[in-house]
This record gives sequence, C-alpha cells and structure tokens, in this order.
Amino acid sequence: MANSPTTWLREQSRPVRRLLATGIAAGAAQAVLMCGGAWLVAHVLAEAIFAGRRLGELWPAVAALPLLAAARFALTLLQRHVTFEAGARVSAGVRSSLEKRMRGLGPRWAAQQSSGDMVTRLVDGVDALIPYYAGYLPQVALAALIPAVIVLVVLVADPWSALVLLLTAPLIPLFMVLVGRAAEQASQRRWLRLRRMGARFMDALSGLTTLRLCRATAREQALLEATGEAYRQETMAVLRIAFLSALVLEFFATISIAVLAVLIGFRLMWGTLAFEPGLFVLLLAPELFMPLRAMGAQRHRRMEAAAAAEDLIALLAVPAEAAATAGPSPHAFAATRIGIELQQVGFGYASDRQVLHDLGLRVEVGTRLTVVGASGSGKSTLFHLLMGFAAPQGGRILINGEDLATLAPASWRRHIAWVPQRVHVFQGSLRDNLLIAAPQADARQLERAVQEAALVPVIARLPQGLDTPLGEHGQGLSGGERQRLALARAWLRDAPLLLLDEPTQHLDAATAAVIDRALAKLAEGRTVIRIAHRLDTIGADEQVAVMADGRIVEVGMASALRASRGAFARLLAADRAA
Amino acid sequence: MNTGPRDHRDRPHADAGQMLRRLLGLARGQRGWMAAGAALALLSTLSGIGLLAVSGHFITSMALAGASGAAINYYTPAALIRLLAMLRTGGRYAERLITHEATLRVLARLRAWLFGRLVPLAPAGLGGLRSAELFSRLRADVDALEHAYLGVLIPLLVALAVTAIVLATALLYLPVLALWLLLPIGLGGVLLPRWALKKGAAPGATVVECAETLRTLAADGLRGRAELALYGTESAHAERIAVATVRLQQARRQTNRLEAIGGAGVALAAQLAVVGVLAFGLPALRAATLAPPDLTMLVLLAMAAFDAIAPLPEAWAQLGATMASARRVFALADTPPAVIEPRAPSPVVHDNGLSIRRLRLSYGAQEPWALDGVDLELPQGHRLAVVGPSGAGKSSLVGALLRLYPYQGSITLGGTPLDTWRGDDVRARIAVVDQQPYLFDASLRENLCIARPDATDGQLEKVIVQAQLDGYVASLPQGLDTWVGENGVRVSGGEARRIAIARALLADAPVLVLDEPTEGLDAGTAAQLYQALAAAMAGRSVLLITHRLGGLSTLVDQVATMRCGRIVECVSAAAYLGISSGAERASAATQVD
Repeated sequence: MANSPTTWLREQSRPVRRLLATGIAAGAAQAVLMCGGAWLVAHVLAEAIFAGRRLGELWPAVAALPLLAAARFALTLLQRHVTFEAGARVSAGVRSSLEKRMRGLGPRWAAQQSSGDMVTRLVDGVDALIPYYAGYLPQVALAALIPAVIVLVVLVADPWSALVLLLTAPLIPLFMVLVGRAAEQASQRRWLRLRRMGARFMDALSGLTTLRLCRATAREQALLEATGEAYRQETMAVLRIAFLSALVLEFFATISIAVLAVLIGFRLMWGTLAFEPGLFVLLLAPELFMPLRAMGAQRHRRMEAAAAAEDLIALLAVPAEAAATAGPSPHAFAATRIGIELQQVGFGYASDRQVLHDLGLRVEVGTRLTVVGASGSGKSTLFHLLMGFAAPQGGRILINGEDLATLAPASWRRHIAWVPQRVHVFQGSLRDNLLIAAPQADARQLERAVQEAALVPVIARLPQGLDTPLGEHGQGLSGGERQRLALARAWLRDAPLLLLDEPTQHLDAATAAVIDRALAKLAEGRTVIRIAHRLDTIGADEQVAVMADGRIVEVGMASALRASRGAFARLLAADRAA
Repeated sequence: MNTGPRDHRDRPHADAGQMLRRLLGLARGQRGWMAAGAALALLSTLSGIGLLAVSGHFITSMALAGASGAAINYYTPAALIRLLAMLRTGGRYAERLITHEATLRVLARLRAWLFGRLVPLAPAGLGGLRSAELFSRLRADVDALEHAYLGVLIPLLVALAVTAIVLATALLYLPVLALWLLLPIGLGGVLLPRWALKKGAAPGATVVECAETLRTLAADGLRGRAELALYGTESAHAERIAVATVRLQQARRQTNRLEAIGGAGVALAAQLAVVGVLAFGLPALRAATLAPPDLTMLVLLAMAAFDAIAPLPEAWAQLGATMASARRVFALADTPPAVIEPRAPSPVVHDNGLSIRRLRLSYGAQEPWALDGVDLELPQGHRLAVVGPSGAGKSSLVGALLRLYPYQGSITLGGTPLDTWRGDDVRARIAVVDQQPYLFDASLRENLCIARPDATDGQLEKVIVQAQLDGYVASLPQGLDTWVGENGVRVSGGEARRIAIARALLADAPVLVLDEPTEGLDAGTAAQLYQALAAAMAGRSVLLITHRLGGLSTLVDQVATMRCGRIVECVSAAAYLGISSGAERASAATQVD
C-alpha cells in the first residue's frame, strides 16, 4: 500500500466533511466577531480620548461588547462540538472496521499476535485519532483562514500596517515548515524511544516474579533508571529542535507586534495616522498569530494520530489467508450425524513451509478417532481446517459427502464442540463463560454440564459461585479448571462432532479419570476426533491415526498398531520409557 | 486496589489537593528545575502582557503628542517594547525547555520509584493484577501525571502571579476597577475551574473505566478469537466493543463540552473585564483622574491578563482523569508487601537443608488453606519429588519456600528460621523453575543471563546442553542472539520451560526447585531432561514438583504425596514406583491415603 498515514487520515475524514466544514466556519465567524470587538474598543477609546465623548454617548458600543462576546462563546461551543463529533465518528468507524478485519483474519492470525501491542493499537491507537479531527485538522484550515481575514481587515483600516504583516506573516509558515520538518523526524524517533522504554517497563513488570526469583530486581531498576535517563536526554535534544519552530513563531509574532507598535506610534505622532485605526490594528496584530500558535500546539496530536494510523493501516492491509473465506455460494448445512473424509489435503503457512501434505483420512459417522504424533506434526492445524479457520490449499474436506468449502462456515460450526488446548476465559462471570457456547441453555442444562465436567468443586470454591467474575480482574482459574470449563462448554454445545485437543493434559490423574468417564458419556452417538498426548489413555479398541511431519503415517486399531511395531509402537515405547 | 472513583466524586477538591501535594513531594528532588521553569514561565507571560500594555500606552502618548505638538521621550518606551519582545520570545523558549526537563526528570524518577515499590509485591501483592494490560495502563497512568506538572501546577502559579500584578496595577491607577476585575477573574480563574473539576470527575472516571473495558474486550477478541468464531458470537463481541466505544465517547463528549465551556468562558470573562475598564475608565478620564495613555494601557492589560487564566478551566477539566491516574499509581505503590523483609542481615550457615514443620499458607483471609500443616524434610543433597492432584498445594509450597508468600508454621534453611532471611539471600540458595516462567522481550542470551549477569560462554553452553536445549539453539540461525519476543511468544511452551531450566541451572544454587518442568515436553525429551538434571545436580538438593509420574526415579530418591494441602505419604522413589505401573499409577496417586 502506497497510502501514507497523512493521506489515509485525510481520506477517513470524507464522511464527516460537513461537520468539519461547520466547525471551520464557526471558527472563521469567531474571527470576524473578534475583529468587530476590537474595532468597538478602538472606537470607544478614540472617541473618548480624542473627541471627548462621555460614557453616556458611547454606551451602545460598550454594551455591544458583551453581546459579541456571548456570540463568540456560542460559536466556540458549536465549533468544539461539531469537530469532536467528527473525530468521534471517524474513530468509532475505524474501530468497527478493525474489528471486522480481525474477524476476517481469523483465529489462526489472532493467536500469533502479541496481545499488549494489539490492544494498544485497537484502543489507544484508535482513540488517538479523535484529537486529530477534533483539533488539528480544523486548526490547519483556521491557521490559513483567520490570518487572511485579519490581514484583509487591517488592509482596509491601515494599508501600511497590512504591509508589515504581509512581510512578516508568510515568513512564519516558511520557517515553521523548515524547522518543523527536522523536528518531526527527530520527534518520530522520540516516540519510538518512548514506546521502547514503555515496552521495557512493562516487560520488567510483567516478569517481576521471575526477576525476583533471579535476584535481578536491583539490576533491573538501575537499568530502568538508566533507560529513563537516556530517554530524557534524547527527548531534550529533540525538544530543543522542536521548540525552535515555536521560537520562530514567537519571534516573528513578537517582532511584528513590536515593529507595528513603534511604526504606528511614530505615524500617530507625525499625524499621518488616526488613533482609531492605529489602536485597532494593534489590537488585531496578536490575534493574527494566535491560530498559528494553536496549530503548533496541536502538532503533537497530528504526530500521534499519524503514528497510530501507520499501525492501523498496516493492520488493515494484512492479507487474509485467502482460503479462510468460503466458496462462491456457501450454503447452509444441517445434520444430526457427521461423517468426515479428507482427500489429499495440503496446507502451508507461508509458501515455503508446508504443514500438511496429501492428508487422507476417513472418520465414519458416530465413530471415534484418536490422532497422535510428536508436537509440530500438524495435529492442531488439522483441527483448524476442520473448524473452517483456514481452508486447505490442496485437496478437499468432505462433510457427509459435501465439500466443506461450499458450506456456510457459521452453519457448519454449529455442529462442532471443541475442547482446545489453551482455553480462553472471557471477561465476565463463570456463567457467562459457560453460556458463550450455548446462549439459550436453561438452568437444567447448565447444571448438568457443570456436573459432568467436574466443575462443582470449582464453583464451591468461588465466592459468588457461578456468578463470580472471571478473567482479567476477577478470580483466576488454574489450568485444570480452565480445561473443565472447556468441557462444560462442550457439554452445553451438544454438537454431533466433538473435537478434543489434549483434553486431560493439565489435569491430575484423578480428575482426568473423572473427566475421561464424562467424555466417554458425552461421546456416545457422536463423531469424535481426539488429539492425544498421553498414550496410556488410549484404549486397545480405539481407532488411531499417527501423524508425522504433516502426513498420516499409520491408521488402525490401537491393539493392531501396537503389535505391528510401526510408528505408533515406537511412540508408545518412548512414552513407556519416560 | 480500586477504592472506586465514586468515593472521591463528592469532594474532588480535597482529594485533588492531597494528590497534588503528594505528587509535588515526589518532585522534591527537582524543586530547583521546577522553580526555574515557573519563574521563566512567569517572566515570559508578563513580558507578553507588558508588551501589549506598553504598546497601548506608547501609541496613545504618541498620538496625543502628535495632536498637541508637544515633545515626547519615545526612546524609553520604544526600547522597553524591544526588551519585552526579546524577553518574551527567549523566555518562552527557555521556559519550555526547563519545564519539560523538570517534568521528564520527575517522571523518570517516578517510574523507577514505582518499580521499586512494586518489586516486593510480586507476586503475592499483585493478586489478579498481573497481566500486561494492567502494566500498559500503569505506564499510561505515569505518563498522564505529566499533566499535573505541565498542565496544572505551572499555569496555576503563573495565573496567580499575573492576577496579583494586574490587580495591583489596577489598584494603582483606578482602585474601583480592581474591585470590578475580581468578578471576571473570579469567574474565569476560580469558578469555572472549580466547576470543570467537579463536573469532570465523573466523565473522567468513566473514560478510564471504559478504556479498560475496551482493552479487555480487545484482548478477548485476540486470545478468544477461536472460541468466538466457533460459537458464532463474533457479532455479539463486535456489538460489545461498539457499546463500550459509545459509552467512552459519551464521557469524552462531556469532558470536551466542559473544556469548551471553560475556554470560551474565560474569553467571555476577558470581555467583561474590558467592559469594566471602559465603564469605569471613561468617567475617570472625564474627571481627569486617569490619563488617556493609562486608559489604553489598562484595556490592553485586562485583555492580556486573561491569556494567563485561559488554560486553567481546561486544565482543571482534565484534572479528574489525571487524579484518577495518580490514585491508581499511589494505590498500587501503597499496597503493603505480603512478606516483610527482616532488618538484620541473613544468618550465616554452611548447610542448605530445608525443614518444614506444620506449614500453613492461605492466599487471603477468606481463602481456604492452600497448605494446611505440611511437614517435609529436604536435607542437603537429597532429592525429593512432591506429587499430587492439581490444587493440592504443590505450587504454594514453592511460594512459601522462596519467601514470596507469608506463611504460618516454620520453615528452616540450614537450621535457621526462614523469616530471619532476606528474600534475596534465600533465592540465592534456592534456584527455581517457575510453573509459569516468564521470558523477557530480549535475546535468548539476555534471558539466560538474568540469573547470572557474568556468565561465560562456556557456562551458558553447559546449561544449554543440560536443559536439552542444544538442538533448539543449534536450529536458530542467530543462535543465542535470537530475540525471543514479549513473554516468549516466539518460542513454544516446551522450549520456554527448558529456557527457564537452563536459567535456573545457570544460577548454580545449592538447592533447585522445579515446578512442573516437563509440562509441554514429549516423554522422550522429559526422560533425557531428568537424566541430565540428575547429573547436573550431583551432590545438591532437588525438589521436584510434578503430576507426571514417568521417569521420576532417574532424578529423585524420595516421593512425597500431597493432598489437600498436606503431605500424606513420603516413601522412597523405588517403593513408590514399585507399587504402581501404567494406568494403575493414576489411581495410586489418588488413593494412597
């Protein structure tokens, strides 16, 4: 993608263009009112000092001042309101398209991401867009508009002063661009350093227990302090340049006000200028530089938004695994019993790393297949393909004779209950975490699932039972307890196909035995594919498929394979030795 | 840790004042920088105000002189204008540098201070607050404190000084005006900020809360994506994100409105001040108690003075969020450590035997006993396995031994009670492979060297072989310099555990504690690992905690069975394994009592 962050940011503003335009118009209208107010003040003073008029004669002008101020007050509120809305809409839109994107990228991609980094992008990165649209973008327009309005007004009031402003004012953007460019590069480096330092801090805190166990905390603290100090020095080096652009602005603003004041003073003394336009111009001069200064103050918002946008663009541009999408016309699928056949299924992560080769496998309706093999042999990938998280690059998967690629993924997935190796506990109560598998389940079904999965003692331990908040800030669940949660979900799911990934790996022998019995009950009448690591749990009459390097190397009854001295027998021997 | 923002909403003032004082206390070391920054800020602001006021005075005098043909000294005001112009420009630049320098120094110190306060809390005091999300929030909280110094403190000082000077000037030229000015200054400088602070507390807290909800949802969307996809709840998840976003934006909208009203309100107040100068100044001019140039000067002075007050309402509107950050930082920093370190140095002993008597441990007042009367002996050089079902308290035993959690009963190390030992000295004698070893976002070498910064290549190579990691390291193109990524995301669970084992071996401690070291390893690798560990730890003590019974006898001499927080049986490894084999082991592990 050739899209630069700035272009992308501007493109996103298209749907909210009218809001931004309203905000800018309100800002410009304020500038006009401000000129009016300045003229009133100049007029009143000139009339009072040089025409000897009293307050009684000038009161309408004095009374108009608060009215103008009230109008400006209302316009400011309007401006801030509409520009905020613009920012809020864009950021909400971006967040929802990111969520959609993540849905498209699928679980396999999600599992590979570092969550801290991603969460920062999705939450803080997207939020950083608001100030860009609410503050910076309108301010850029106002920084061009308002000085133009003021120079025009001054041109009418006193052409010579307008000339002074015209000579100095254009130098400001010029110098600001020159200095700003250097500052921007430097400050991008600084943001990078800041992020690295933050990452280091976070890393040290996340691994605090490990640091304590290694007696490395004092060392780490010294290191953190040194990192912080280095960051400070670098930041200051950057800021020295960055503040230069502000210095340039201040310099020209101050100089032109000073030059104007002195010039106006002398022309007043020589009598070549009336007091009223003279004072009017002097009152307007600082206002000319105000929007430029405000823009300078907003620049960091642009940089923050651009940095965030760069991350977001990259995220939106991640190519989806082409295969994860369904075929041309997916159709709904419904069955009460499932038979599966894999025909020459091939799959690879990147073009160079093939994970599955010509995989052929049949699982008849209502039967049970146990898949074994060393880690990395492709067992988990097989499950991902079956769940439709990815599609084979070669061959096909037939469900009751139909190609999986032609089925609507959602309707197919309704037929699957899955017990993963790493169970995710969502924010919410234990009940929420169970019901995610079957939102419509009633109390009786829930009760049964909880009992069958041996969750009863776990619930007894939790202070609020089923309604105890779990996850990030709630009570933790141990590995074994999470596994039971997944089993209960599978019970609730009540699906014809059961995919079990090392279901008893984290469990102690006693609980494992309980759960194995429960699983046997759950498996009745269903099609079951199980990935097993503990070979001692495999019964003699079980159908076993042995995987190695992405291929099925052996299929058969466990007792027969055991006797055949093939791959399964070798795995078994290694397991026994341990 | 969250005492709830609700408690503070009613009295945002008292609370904010207390927090600010504490933040200032932390900045004590940088007082010089802060004072210099504030002085420079005041100087440049006053120069700006003075520049306008003098200019107004100057042009009026010049116009009057032109009209009357009188002579006038224009050198002094013209020179003053130039001086003020330079002071303002240079002062502004210097002020920004100095205040940022001061703030960065304070924040750097604050970060290190906070880290130091958190160290004794891990892991007992951090409870469930262990995740990366929490710490990213914490980082954001520390950064947010910048506002307390740059956005609140310095503008407040400047506004106070400017107000005093403007009021004094008014008093000098037109006393009644000083009285009138109290109204707009009070409105813009006191009432509006107070109002913004009060109104901003609730939406500020909501912003923080919603952002946290969003972070959790985003993490759920990554880690639980497979579940969401399989259960067809992705739309519901997206909906929850959308709802949280709407709530967040509603709170932000309120804050934005407060800021807008605050900012525009100050501009309105400035106009009230100008109206006052004109209303009182014109009659005074008429009565000749006020000279014309002074009137112009007062008008410009009144206008410019509000530039100093302008930042206050907006700063105060954001103060709610800043204070929420400060509160969270302090709440965490103030959490008392679970284990109190002894003042006296650790005892000097030459034996590393461990003896545990009637050990009890619980994770909270309402929690059940995780350890409930454990008795265990591990004389120097002995090797013991503790087996038992999950939840039996095996890992709690490690927590107590390493002085990470407080306990009741007694543990002695080398014959002296463990609570007379400093935590670090205990951990110098007991190296541990944690059940959840953490890998740092650094190279493999750095991850190993945490246990021993001065390790030589030879020592590293030795422990890598012992931990059965040599094949893995050899397969890495960059070898030991391979980046392992945040929390070891780029290595598998089995590899991470072996890295942790190598790290513990590198520490070369007389006692080695292994908590489920073979989790995620296949049986063959696990067997080799036990053999290598047996050789590596010759003559030293080993405490192995596991629920996998295979291969135990290669490493340990004795097996203790734990159930419900107690040791229920302790027999020799040969005897233990003799009574059980194959699938029968499963029931043996549970039925020994």
